[in-house]
Amino acid sequence: MSETLTCTSPPVTRLAVAGAINATKQYGKGDTIVTALDNVTVDFHAHEFTAIMGPSGSGKSTLMHNVAGLDTLTSGSVYIGNTDLSGLNDKQLTLLRREKIGFIFQAFNLVPTLSALENITLPTALAGRKPDRAWVDLVVETVGLANRLKHRPSELSGGQQQRVAVARALASQPEIIFGDEPTGNLDSRTGAEILDFMRKAVRDLGQTIVMVTHDPVAASYAERVIFLADGRIVDEMSSPTPDRVLDRLKRFGD
Amino acid sequence: MFRTTLKNLAARKLRLLTTSIAVLLGVAFMAGTLVLTDTVGKTFDNLFANVNAGTSAYVRGETAFGSDLGDQRDRLDASLVQTVSAVDGVQHAEGSIEAYAQLVDKNGKVIGDPKMGAPTFGGIWLTDDKLNPFDLAEGRAPQSTTEVVIDKGSASKGHFVLGDSVKVLTKSGTQTETIVGIATFGGEDSPAGVSYTLFTPDAAQTFLTEPGKIDAIKVVAADGVSDRDLADRIAKAVPAHTQVLTGAEITAENQKAVREGISFFSIFLMTFAVIALFVGSFIIYNSFSILVAQRSKEMALMRAIGASRRQVLGSVLFEAVVVGLIASLAGLAAGIGVATGLKELMNAVGFDTPDGAIVVTSSTVVISMIAGLGVSVASAVFPARKASKVPPIAAMRDVALDTSGSSRKRFVTGSVIGGLGAFTMGAGLFGGAGIGPVALGVPLVFVGVAVLGPVIARPVSWVLGSPLPRLKGMAGTLARENAMRNPKRTSATAAALMIGVALVSFITILASSTKASISQGVDKRFTGDFVIDSGTFGLGGLSPDLAEKLKALPELDAVSGSRMTPTQVNGAATLLSSGDPVAMQKITDFGITEGSFRDLGPTQIAVLKDTATSNGWKIGDTVPVRFAKTGEQQFTIAALFTESDVAEEFFISLTAFDANVADHFDSKVYVTLADGVSAEQGRAAITKVTDGYPQATVQDRTEYKDAQGSEIDMMLNLIYALLALAVFIALLGIANTLALSMFERTRELGLLRAVGMTRRQLRTTVRYESVIIALLGTTLGLAIGVSFGWAMVKALSGNGLSTFALPYSQLTVMAVIAVFAGIAAAILPARRASRLNVLEAIISE
Repeated sequence: MSETLTCTSPPVTRLAVAGAINATKQYGKGDTIVTALDNVTVDFHAHEFTAIMGPSGSGKSTLMHNVAGLDTLTSGSVYIGNTDLSGLNDKQLTLLRREKIGFIFQAFNLVPTLSALENITLPTALAGRKPDRAWVDLVVETVGLANRLKHRPSELSGGQQQRVAVARALASQPEIIFGDEPTGNLDSRTGAEILDFMRKAVRDLGQTIVMVTHDPVAASYAERVIFLADGRIVDEMSSPTPDRVLDRLKRFGD
Repeated sequence: MFRTTLKNLAARKLRLLTTSIAVLLGVAFMAGTLVLTDTVGKTFDNLFANVNAGTSAYVRGETAFGSDLGDQRDRLDASLVQTVSAVDGVQHAEGSIEAYAQLVDKNGKVIGDPKMGAPTFGGIWLTDDKLNPFDLAEGRAPQSTTEVVIDKGSASKGHFVLGDSVKVLTKSGTQTETIVGIATFGGEDSPAGVSYTLFTPDAAQTFLTEPGKIDAIKVVAADGVSDRDLADRIAKAVPAHTQVLTGAEITAENQKAVREGISFFSIFLMTFAVIALFVGSFIIYNSFSILVAQRSKEMALMRAIGASRRQVLGSVLFEAVVVGLIASLAGLAAGIGVATGLKELMNAVGFDTPDGAIVVTSSTVVISMIAGLGVSVASAVFPARKASKVPPIAAMRDVALDTSGSSRKRFVTGSVIGGLGAFTMGAGLFGGAGIGPVALGVPLVFVGVAVLGPVIARPVSWVLGSPLPRLKGMAGTLARENAMRNPKRTSATAAALMIGVALVSFITILASSTKASISQGVDKRFTGDFVIDSGTFGLGGLSPDLAEKLKALPELDAVSGSRMTPTQVNGAATLLSSGDPVAMQKITDFGITEGSFRDLGPTQIAVLKDTATSNGWKIGDTVPVRFAKTGEQQFTIAALFTESDVAEEFFISLTAFDANVADHFDSKVYVTLADGVSAEQGRAAITKVTDGYPQATVQDRTEYKDAQGSEIDMMLNLIYALLALAVFIALLGIANTLALSMFERTRELGLLRAVGMTRRQLRTTVRYESVIIALLGTTLGLAIGVSFGWAMVKALSGNGLSTFALPYSQLTVMAVIAVFAGIAAAILPARRASRLNVLEAIISE
C-alpha cells in the first residue's frame, strides 16, 4: 500500500488516509446469507469531513466498523494510512486503533470511573505515553471543557459527555476519526454544537473525520457525503446542504 | 412470574453453576460428615453386636469416678472367676484384661501411636469362642507365657508371620514373645485401628496388670437362663463395689463409646462445614445483589406492567430456592463422595474404620436440604427486598453507578452488630460464660465488619491499589478504580475471604503463642538437660525400671520419672502428677512459695497456688484425693507452687503415687547431667540405656521444645486443610463477582478495547481488581484474626499461655498467598473479558 492510492474524482486530487477496496461483508450462511457490503471501494481524504449516509440496513455502519478495524471483511481489503488491515491480528489492530484512529460513538463513550481529562488522554495513557500537553490544552479549549476536566462522566450532561468524546478522539492526533451517529442521542442544539466542534477540528486543527449519520442536518456539516444503499455506494455529494441531502435521500424511495 | 425466573436461570447456566457451587461445597461437607458418622457408627454397632453376641453377662469394678480419660475403676481379683463360675446358671466364665501393651516391629520401632491415634492394648486370649471377640485367622492359641496372638492389622503393619519373635512393651518391661496366632476382630483386621496382643491368662496378669488381677469377667449363660436373670444372680454372689452388666448392656456401652469417639471427630468436621456454609452465604448474598442491580430495569418493567412488589420479591426468592435446591441435592450426592474421603482422613489420624455399606439416613437428607435451602434463601432475602423496592419509573431511567456505601445508618448498624459480637465474645472468654457466647460472638463480629465493609472498602482499596498506576499504568489505574467503583460489591466479595483468613490467622497466632509460651517456659524454668519421652499420654508409657537404670549412671546427676493419673481432688476430676520431689526440683523451677517439696511423703501433696487460693486452702490443710484403686485418701498440703509447666495443679511423690495407683508408667523421664559431663557424653550414656526401650526418644532442651511444637503443627496443618475449603469458596466468590461485573461492564470493555486497550492490558486490569479485592479481604481478615488471637491468648493467660506471639513470616506468607489467590480467581473472568468481541460489546444494549 502506498500513498499513490488516491481518489481520482475531480476537481482536485487529494490524499487518501483510509479506505476500502472491493470490500464485501456477508453475514450468515447458505439461504440466510445477508450481504451488508457489496464490493465497495471508497477513499477517505485527509483533512476532510466526510459523512456516510443511507437508510438503515444500507451498510453504512458496517463500512465504518470495517475501515476502523472493529470488524473484519468477508473479502476485499481496508487500509488506514499505508497499513492494510486485512492481515492484522487482534493486537496489531488494537495498537492501530490506539495510535491512528479516534472514535466518537453515539452513546457510552466514556469510562465511568475516569475523570473527563483521564478519558480524554485514555488512548495515550494506554500506550504508556505522556500526552502532548499543548495539543491537549488546545483541544480542551476548542471544545470548551477547561473547567470540567476533573468531573466524572456521571457529573456531566449528555452534550458535555460528547464533547469529552470529541476531545478524546482528537487528543491523540490520530490519522482519522470515526464518528458513529455522534449526535444521535442529543437534542438538536447540543448536536449542532458538537458538529460545529467536529467541523472546527477539520478546518482549524487539520483533522480527518468520517461520520456515519442518518440526519441530513448533521451530514450538511460535512464537506463530502457518500450515500449507501443495499451495501453499495450509490452517490456522492460535495458541499452538502440539509435540503440537497434530504432531496437525495427521498429518491431512495423510488 | 415464576416462569420468567426459570427462564432467566436456564439462560444463565454458568451463573447458576458458580452461585450454586458456593453452597454445594458447604452442603457436601456437611452431608459427608453426617454420612460418615452414620456409616461408621452403624458399622461399629454391628461389629460390637456381633463380637459380644456370645456374652451373657459382664462383671467389672464399680466406676470410682469419671475423668477425661474415661471412667476410672478398680481391678477385680482373679479368684472372682471361680466365684462367678459357681453361680447357678453360669455355663462358663473367663477373666479378661485390657491394659497397655505395644508391639515393636522388626526395625525396633513401636507399632501404633497411642498418644495421637488408637490405643495399643494387651489382653487375655479367651478360650471360649462365644466369649472371645477374636477369631484365629492363622495359627493357634497361646499356650505359654512366651506365646502371643496378635491382631491381623498389627501383623500386617509390622510384617509379622507365624513363628516370628516379637518384642512387646508392657508395664513390667519389654517381653520377647513368639507369635503363634494371628486373629481378626469380628472379621476386621483390628477394631478401629486398635492394636491387640493377647497372652495366656497367667502371662497377661504378670505382664499387664499384676498376678491375681484382672479387668473384667465375661460370662456365658447356661441354657434357659436369661441374661438379665444371670446378671442378677451373679450380682448377689460378688462382693461390694462390683458391677454386673448384661451382654446387651456392655454391647450398648461399647457402641456408645465408639459413637462418642466419632462424634468428637464429627463435631470438629461439622464446625468447618458450618464455616463453609457461612462463607457461602456471603457469596449467595453478593450474587443476588449483583443480579438484582443488573436486572433492576427488567424488574422495573415488570412493576410498570403490573407486577406487585410481592411478586418481584417472590421471583427473586424463588430463584434462590431453585439455587438452594440444586445446590443441596448436588451437595448431598457429593457428600457421599466426601464421606469416603473423610473416612480416609479418619484412617490417617489413626481411627481405622472397617468397610461397610454407606448409610444415608433421612435425617442426613433433611439436615442437608434445610442447610442448603436455608442458607440460599436467607442470603437472598435482603437483595430480594431491594429488588421489590425498585420503582416502576426506573424502567425509564439509566441505572447510575452505585458508589454509595458510607451511609450513617450503615456505620451505626455495622458498629452495633460488631460491637455486640465483640462483647458477647469477651463475655465468653473473660467473663467465664463459656464457649456458647464465643461461638455466637464470632459470626456476629464477621457480620458487623461485613456491614461496615462498604465504608471501609473505598479508602482501603485506594491505599492497596496505590502502587498500581505506577506499576501497571492505565491498566493499573482502571483496576484500582474498578475495585473502588462499587464498594458494597467489593466489600461483600472480600468479606467471604475475610472469614477464612481471620480463622487461619487466628489459629496461626494461637499456635505460635502456645509454642512461644512453651518455649519460654522451658527456657525460663526448665533446668534439666535431657528429656526421655515415651510418646504416649494416659495409656502406658515407660516402664519405671528405665528411670532406675538411668539413676545408676555416673554421668547423670538428677533423674526423675514423671507420672500422671486421673483422680478426683476434693470431688473435682483432675490429673495428678508425680515425680521424685528432690530430683524434680533440680530439673524444673516450680516457683515454690511456701513449704517444701522435701516434705512430700506418702500422704503429702503440693498444690498450685492459684488452685489453693480459689479453694481457700493453706499449708497444713487436708484435702481428699480419690483413686480408682484405693478409694478416697486424705492428703496434707505440704507446699504451694506457682509454675504449672510440669506439675499442672497437683503434685505428689512417687511413693504416694505407687501406693495408690495400679499401673506405674513414666510418661517422661527428666534428667540433668553431673558436673563436667558434656552433652555428647551424657547423650551417649543415656542412649545406651534407652536402646532397650523402643518407645523412648531422647531429647535435649531444643529437641524437647521442638517436639512439643511439632504436635501443635500437626493439629495446625489439619485445621489449615479444613479451612482451605472456606478460602476456596471465597475465591469462587471473587471469580463469580468478577464474572458478573464483566458482564455488566460489557460496553465499557468494548469501548476500552476500541480506543486501544490490548487484551493483555484488559487481563491485567481484571487481575489486579481481583488482587485488590483479595488483599482487602486478607487485610480485614488479618485485623480480625489478630484481634481474636490476642483476646484468646489474654483469656488463656492463666492456663499457661503467657506469651502473645505474632508470627510475622506466616502472616506475610498469607498475604502473598492472597495475592496469588486473587490472580488465580481472575483467570477465567479475565480471559472471558479479553475475548469479548469488541464490535458486539460496543453495540450491545
